Order: sequence, then structure tokens, then C-alpha cells
Amino acid sequence: MKLRTAGWINAALHFAVFALALFLARAVLHAGVVRFAFNFFYLDALSAFFIVVIALVDLASALFSVEYIAKEEEKGAITYKRALIYYLLFNLFTFSMIFVAMVNNLGMLWAAVEVTTLVSAFLVGFYNTKHSVEAAWKYIIICSVGIVLALLGTILFSYAASMTTGLKSLNWSDLLAVAGRMDPNMVRIAFVFILVGYGTKAGLAPMHNWLPDAHSQAIAPISALLSGVLLKTAVYAIIRFGIIVDLAVGGRYFGHLMVLLGLISLFIAAVFVLVQKDIKRLLAYSSIEHLGIIAVGLGIGGPLGVYAALLHLFNHAVTKSLMFFCAGDIVSAYNRHNLNSIRGVLKSMPFTGFMLAAGTLALSGFPPFSLFISEFLIVTAAFLKGSYLAAALMLAFIVAVSCAFIYHLSRVIFGRPPAGMPPEASPAGTRLALVMLFILFCALGIFIPGPVNSLIVSAAEVITR
Amino acid sequence: MEIYIIFGILTLTYVMVVTKRVRGLITGFQFQSFFLFLLTAVEAWSGRSIELGTVAALLLLVKVIGIPQLLSRMTDRVRASEDLGLILNSQLSLVSGLLLTYLSWLFYSYVVRGHNLTEGIALSASLSIILMGLFLMIFRMKALSQIVGLLTMENGIFLLASSLSGGMPFIVEIAIFFDVLMSVIILGMFVYRINKLFTHVDVSRMTHLRG
Repeated sequence: MKLRTAGWINAALHFAVFALALFLARAVLHAGVVRFAFNFFYLDALSAFFIVVIALVDLASALFSVEYIAKEEEKGAITYKRALIYYLLFNLFTFSMIFVAMVNNLGMLWAAVEVTTLVSAFLVGFYNTKHSVEAAWKYIIICSVGIVLALLGTILFSYAASMTTGLKSLNWSDLLAVAGRMDPNMVRIAFVFILVGYGTKAGLAPMHNWLPDAHSQAIAPISALLSGVLLKTAVYAIIRFGIIVDLAVGGRYFGHLMVLLGLISLFIAAVFVLVQKDIKRLLAYSSIEHLGIIAVGLGIGGPLGVYAALLHLFNHAVTKSLMFFCAGDIVSAYNRHNLNSIRGVLKSMPFTGFMLAAGTLALSGFPPFSLFISEFLIVTAAFLKGSYLAAALMLAFIVAVSCAFIYHLSRVIFGRPPAGMPPEASPAGTRLALVMLFILFCALGIFIPGPVNSLIVSAAEVITR
Repeated sequence: MEIYIIFGILTLTYVMVVTKRVRGLITGFQFQSFFLFLLTAVEAWSGRSIELGTVAALLLLVKVIGIPQLLSRMTDRVRASEDLGLILNSQLSLVSGLLLTYLSWLFYSYVVRGHNLTEGIALSASLSIILMGLFLMIFRMKALSQIVGLLTMENGIFLLASSLSGGMPFIVEIAIFFDVLMSVIILGMFVYRINKLFTHVDVSRMTHLRG
């Protein structure tokens, strides 16, 4: 079979998954909660929202893979057999991420998150070079340690429930039912481990060290998946625990911790974006920034803050995948990834250059793109709640990151391209993926369609209940 | 009975912290897992629980026989020197290990304020095993010690779960076994790749990626 055919079949498959995810979201919005397989799967609006986001980015990445993988094989960077393995791993990876958002049992949630790490480690080390294998090793070791701490937290969490209520279950729905009677001190301790553990996987500073390496070394469509949705599955896990913590401990314990970690992430991103030399590492640090913004939004809380955080999560997933696709195409056309030696993308590759420019402005938070709306709403929520300091710090860091980000990428976009660049190839799959994402982050900046809005509102209601 | 087994596991962890050789580390892990198996088997026997019995059998199969076998074959094949590359020497490592145990005890007595002594000992012992696993990952240079460190942490968690809440739900336990086995196999594949590309397995010398 030709690789392109395999790619298109894969893309069609992921289109079906996406359609199924939308159907599922509709069913969940209609019924409130869907459970099946003896309560093993538990789907509420929050799960449905995450599944839709994951399926969407999967679809885009599958479309982009068609041409990218075929080209890599033609260039001789990977063999035909490894290209097929890529598609196998791609599907295992996306499946495990969707699984994370579906399971009810917090122990299974843990196991699923660990599987995402194990599978994606191969995709990070796919090129089998010194750099990529080092990145993969670092990724798998750091995330595994993180995830072990998360398991410790999970056990202490269930202990907090069994101490006072005698409940012997790790099902999220059961824990939620007894949340008010859990031992608050134990919950506090357990949540610190959870936050450190899943926070590592979410790329929240100061546990973010693996992220720039893994994102920059992974094969391009996978970088998009890592940044776009893998980090968010860990955020999903944190949110699931956070809901129970809020009920068990009360006050602003969850909120304060999230705001703190979010601000640290924003600070780290502000420092490191400035000094980046590698285009994909630049995008990776920008992901840490946006995860920080999401954490601050969740931490500030309230219906508006949570709504804005989820909207931002969606917008970031869409925009950042587009950026990684562009970066992937640019790197393979220029055959280098140093920011100082890539010039004139707009001239040499007009389509990709245009998309990159739009994505750069969107990620920097300019209107009329959708990230502006969600950032604006998070700041509004912070002011309404009286968290002036958090809002001010967040704005300051965002401005710093954006300046550096635009400075770096404007030099890449404009200027004179090197002589002898081949004309830009414009394969259908790549265009389709980019245009789809482009339309999404443009349109959502102007208006949010009813069904999308009600999905996010219901998901936010699950969190703020 | 259980207390003695827990002390046995703790002692073996000290042995792992002290040893300078790769083989010693693997054997230490093997015995540690065997004691965990004993603990689970005793519990399964006294509770007449088939599920716990299955977990014990899996422990024996995966952690006592399977994983140590995989790890020793890995050491043979990469032909690395037997030396673990101690960043902190044996004596200081032992002192650190004891300190970690003391810290775990403090954590238990001040923060948790548990109800009975057995539970307290189990909790602080497993916490200190988890911490010593982390210690092994940080203060040893070879890739293999990071794998064993991770496995030690996982053993600590297993001990914690079985002594605190009577083990995790059966299906979760199975899923975790599956994950542990998978991660060892995958990490092993990466060790081979590192050995081939870098011609060594010294992770402290892998410093290409910075900033």
C-alpha cells in the first residue's frame, strides 16, 4: 500500500472518531451523565468537552500526517516500515488520550495517563538520533516519576475517603458523593502529590523540564498532539481531583495552588521564550505560558473563570497545533530549526507563512483571534473576584512573552529567503488541516456558536457545581 | 508478622541504596519484590481472597521473576561496566536513606497523626521506600539505576496501598502491573538505543539538550 493511501485511510478513521465525539457530546448534553460498562465509563459534559478537543486535534494531525510522513519517507529520514509503525503508534496514542477522558475509576485514569507517556515516548524518539533519544529518555523518566507521585496522591486520596466514611472505591462518582465527609487534612496532602504528579505531565513549571525537549524532538504532527492535547489530558486529571478537593476542603485551597503554579509557569515562559534559538522549542515554551494561563483561569474559578479557562484550553489546542504544523513544514523545507537562520517564510512559502503569521498574532493574544477573547475573560474574572495581583502579574508576563514571541517569529516570517528554495508544495491534506484550524481560531474570536457554547458552559458547571 | 515483612522490605531498600554494583541493585529489587509477594500472600491466605491471591501470583511472576530477568539480560547485552557510578558514596547514601526514613516518620507523626502504630509504621516505611527510590534515580549515573529506582518507588506505592486501604481495586491493580511491565520493556528498548548511539549508558553525560 502507498503511504499516502494509508495516511488518508487513517485520516478518514479519525474523521469518523471526531464525528462520533460530536455525537457523544450531544448525547451527554442531552442526558447529563452517560455511564456504561458497569459504571466503568463515566461521561459528563467535562469528559465530552475534552473528548471533542482531543478528537479535533487528532483529526487535524492525521490530515497533516498524510503528506508529512510520505515526504519523510521519500527523503529517507524514515523507512516504509517505520512509517507504518508511526501510524500504529499514532492510533494507540490518540486512543489512550480519549480513554483518559472516559474512565470513571481514578486508578484507571492513572494507568491511562501512564500509557499515553509510554506510547508517545516512542514518537518522541522516533528519528532515533542522539538528540531525540535523549529527549525521549528524559521525557519518559521525568513523567514516570511524576506519575508515580500522582499514584501516591491517588492512594492517599482514597485513604482520606476510607478513613472517615469507610468507602472502598476509587470511582470518581463514588468519591464525589462522599466528598463533603472526607478527611480534609489528608485531602490537602494528597492533592499536593496529585498536583506535582499530573502537573509534571501538564508541563506546569517548575516540573516542566522535559517539555521543551520532547516537543522539539518529536515528529512534527506528534509535537502538535503533545502540545495541543496531551498536556490537556493531565489538566483534565487535575480538574477531576480539584472538583473533589473543592468540596472536601472548601475555601480556596485548590484555587490558590493553581494560581500559584500558573503564575510560576508564566514567569518561566517569559524568561525562556526570550532566549530561544530553536523554532520548536520556542513553541514549546509558549505552551508552558498558555498552560499557565489555563491554570490561573481554573484557579480564579467561578463560572466565568472556569468557562474562560476551558475556552482558552480549546483555543490553545487549535492554535498551537497549527503552529507546530507550520513549524514542521518550515523545518523540513529549510532543513534547519535555528531561529537565526530561517528567514523570509512569507516569500518562499506564502501559504505556510500566512498561517504562521496569523498563528503568531493569535498566540500573542491579539484580537480578533479567539485566544484574545479567552485571555480577556480570564482577566475579567480575576478583576471581578478581586484577584488584582494575580491579574496584573499574568498580564505583565503575557506581554513579556508576546513581545519576545513576535520578535522571534517576525524575523522568521519576513526578510529575504535563502537563494535556491524550491517552490512551496501545497498538498491537500496539509492545506485541509491548516485551513480547518485557521477557520476555528478566527471564527471563535468573533462569535461562539450555540452548541460549542453550551458544551463549554455545561463542562464549566461540572467543575463549579 | 506483617511488621517483620515490612521491616525486611525497608532493610532491603537500604541494601539497594548502599550497593555499588548493578547486579546488587537488581538482586535487591528482586528480594524486595519477593517480600512484597510474601506480604500479599499472607494477606490473601488470611482473608481467603482469590483476588489478592491473583495479585500475589502476578507479583511473583512479574516483579520477582520477569523484571529482574529482563534487567540482568539488559546488563549483559549493553556490556556496561558493573559500576553504578555513585554520585554520593555508599556511606553518605546510607545516611541519606536513614534520614529519609526519619523524615517519613516525622511526616507521619506530625501531619497524618494516624490511629494505630502498625498503620503508622507501614505508612512511613512505604513513604521512605518511595523517597529512596527517587534518591536512587537522582544519585546514580547509569540508566539502569533510574529504571530500578522507578520500580522501587512503585514497590513503595504498592506497599502503601496494601497497608492503608487494603489494596487497590482488582482491575486497577492489574492495569498497574501491565503499566509497570510495559514501562520496563520500553525503558529497556531505550537503554539499547542509548547504548548504540552514545556508546555508553551514563545518563549524567547526556547533556545535548539545554535551555
